[in-house]
Amino acid sequence: MELSPRTAHQNGGGAIAERPAASAPPAQEIAAVWAEYLDGGEVGVDDDFFALGGSSLAGIKIIDRLAEDYGVRLSVRAFYLASTPARVAELIGQGRAGA
Amino acid sequence: MRLTPGPAQDIDLDSVDLFDLDLYTAGDPHTVWDVMRAKAPLHHQVLPDGREFWSVTRYEDVCRVLGDHREFTSERGTVPTHLGTDDAAAGKLLTSTDPPRHTQVRRAIGAKLTARAVAPWEDRIRRTVVRFLEPAFDGGVFDLAERALLLPAMVTGPLLGIPERDWEELVQLTAMVTAPSDPHFKQGGEAATLAIAHHELITYVNEWVTRRRASGGDDDSLLDHLMTLRAGDAPLTDEEIALDGYSILLGANVTTPHTVSGTIQALIERPGQFAAAQADPALIPNLVEEGLRWTSAACNFMRYAVGDTEIGGGTIPARAAVVAWIGSANRDELQFPDPHTFDITRGGAKRHVAFGFGPHFCIGGPLARMTLRIFFEEVLQRFSAVELAGEPEHLRSYFIAGMTHLPVVARTRRTS
Repeated sequence: MELSPRTAHQNGGGAIAERPAASAPPAQEIAAVWAEYLDGGEVGVDDDFFALGGSSLAGIKIIDRLAEDYGVRLSVRAFYLASTPARVAELIGQGRAGA
Repeated sequence: MRLTPGPAQDIDLDSVDLFDLDLYTAGDPHTVWDVMRAKAPLHHQVLPDGREFWSVTRYEDVCRVLGDHREFTSERGTVPTHLGTDDAAAGKLLTSTDPPRHTQVRRAIGAKLTARAVAPWEDRIRRTVVRFLEPAFDGGVFDLAERALLLPAMVTGPLLGIPERDWEELVQLTAMVTAPSDPHFKQGGEAATLAIAHHELITYVNEWVTRRRASGGDDDSLLDHLMTLRAGDAPLTDEEIALDGYSILLGANVTTPHTVSGTIQALIERPGQFAAAQADPALIPNLVEEGLRWTSAACNFMRYAVGDTEIGGGTIPARAAVVAWIGSANRDELQFPDPHTFDITRGGAKRHVAFGFGPHFCIGGPLARMTLRIFFEEVLQRFSAVELAGEPEHLRSYFIAGMTHLPVVARTRRTS
């Protein structure tokens, strides 16, 4: 599923994936990714996915995109239970530490 | 929810909140519906978040909303937990599809679930029911409502082709879909619970199909049937297989347990009827129908009005959501005299709409009826009495009427 306009997100991709293994990405970065898939503009690091109008389809797209950008594939359950960019960033950090 | 209503109450229909979950755990919905049928057979409610829905509560109106797809479409969703969000699976998921496509798929799937098709399962289901009841034989406390959640999976697992190791997980997921706010099933928030459960159930069916295709086998199960059937001269798409597989799992799991526990509760409260059914097992089929009417486990279904539609003395505007309250229709005094009296000898009990009405009538109805009949035959044959052994706890849901706990003690019968 190549749905995301990669060029629109220059700070993603390889450069970040080469960081030291245990680091969590900045929550603002995750929030920026969410904002691309959720209609309605700004996303704060502590905003709840569903309160932002997130649908399950948007959730799947975001999980795919985060896997590409950060090399950690979150389960759908983990993603929804985390529910905010800040906690998703933590999970990615944990995923990298465990990888 | 409470099945035997308390005394009539003064209800302010302008402020009543039918989506208030506390109404179903601690309140008395039948006293509300009684007033709605009498004074506001078409009722309108705006939720705090701005979503709106109309309600019909009379038997005749409920049948019309559920049964006439030209006036009331299923293609924007049929479950009130999704109110306000058009169903992404419209036209693909059978329950969210109107005729004529619905008729093609329904006929093809339903061929495996007619009374005649499921009759050969009787002995196997009886053995399963006995296995289910075994832990109650020693006279200890048996939490019927909690245990009954697994009964449909025990019965339908072999029919569907689902291995026993997966039953508990699937039962948990289907409960999450229908009662996402109940503390027994909630994961994170309500929306998260729904999204997780939808995703994992669909993924389960998809993986089942992928494995089956890879192995090339065919075990004559219902899921195999979904993969091989032809509807309108073509097989189902993979998306339809996943969605309908999901829907069948859901329908099987989430309703029957509550009819089992609600009917047993009614019999506990009325030992005379327990004794009557025991003395005359020929009453059991009607006991099952009265139990279905009484419990109405699927409390409601939703439709959307196609155009401005007159019903219940008012007009539902085009495109508005309307909830058909099955639990109320099954207590409509015009159809069921003394509706709040549980009576296993009631004439016309079978006219209930617990399985819905019209094209979307429950596809598993014949299997559920047979399972319930066998269940009560075994209970009445094996136990001289069933007694309450603790407080019942009600399911926190406005969609499924049921219990999460019903501790009982069963006295085994000393027969020669």
